[in-house]
Amino acid sequence: MPILNRKQRVSDEIPTASMADIAFLLLVFFLTTTVFNEEKGLPIVLPEEKEEQEVSPKNLLFLIVQPDGSVVVRRGESEQEQVVAYRQIEGILRQELAANENLIAAIKTDPDAPYRHMINVLDEVKKAGAERISLQMVGE
Amino acid sequence: MALRAGGFKRRSGASSQIPSSSMADIAFLLLIFFMVTTVFRKEKKRRIDWVDAEATQKIDEKRKNILHLWIEDGGQIYINDQAIADDEIASIVRPLYADNRELVVALRGDRDVPYFKINTITKQLQASGAVRVTFATRLEHRVMRPRR
Repeated sequence: MPILNRKQRVSDEIPTASMADIAFLLLVFFLTTTVFNEEKGLPIVLPEEKEEQEVSPKNLLFLIVQPDGSVVVRRGESEQEQVVAYRQIEGILRQELAANENLIAAIKTDPDAPYRHMINVLDEVKKAGAERISLQMVGE
Repeated sequence: MALRAGGFKRRSGASSQIPSSSMADIAFLLLIFFMVTTVFRKEKKRRIDWVDAEATQKIDEKRKNILHLWIEDGGQIYINDQAIADDEIASIVRPLYADNRELVVALRGDRDVPYFKINTITKQLQASGAVRVTFATRLEHRVMRPRR
């Protein structure tokens, strides 16, 4: 009798053929939404408020950043000034650090100087390996 | 010893098809990797012309310890997508720093922002106690290495 031949057509297995498609779909979603952690920069620790210390002028090297990007180098104790391009600072600072390892690089920036000039100088100071850095503004 | 079937029937055992049964496993493996590493962006991206610096370092700090402070070209300051007046920074950062002592403030300043802006910000960060600061920069490759 034909009625006995009827079988249930529904399979009881999970279809595995489409598994890869599902996985790839999700994969593409996560690939496109992923942002890798990319925090990059020049780290610096600011002094705590009211934590001002007296420094002997001979340990200071002022790097005065002008609005046009040129830098005036002045050693703490002398009045002598030297105008340099910022790319020369690394070399100058390396020499000074070799002579006096307690040297503090004081980056003094003009209020109207663009941020990038100050970062350029900070970059040079970091490259020279200076550990003691002070950030100031002209006219404070 | 007799040769069996004269060598004509020898076939290479390697199949010429890419095995597709392991495809799902590969896909799931990659999927899990990306699910684990994905962190969804919380903030809107702001238009900033980055400053280049050769001494740029990777900041190894957990994402939750980093507070972004954006300074746009025009001098407008943003924290967590909110425009902030210059003198509000200390009052906003102070409670955040009290919650999380390991807070690092990443200053994402536009290259043309005048320095007094940065100075007021650092002064206020000092007042709020958050003294660990990074000046966000982009890695610069300035010098071509001399050829040997």
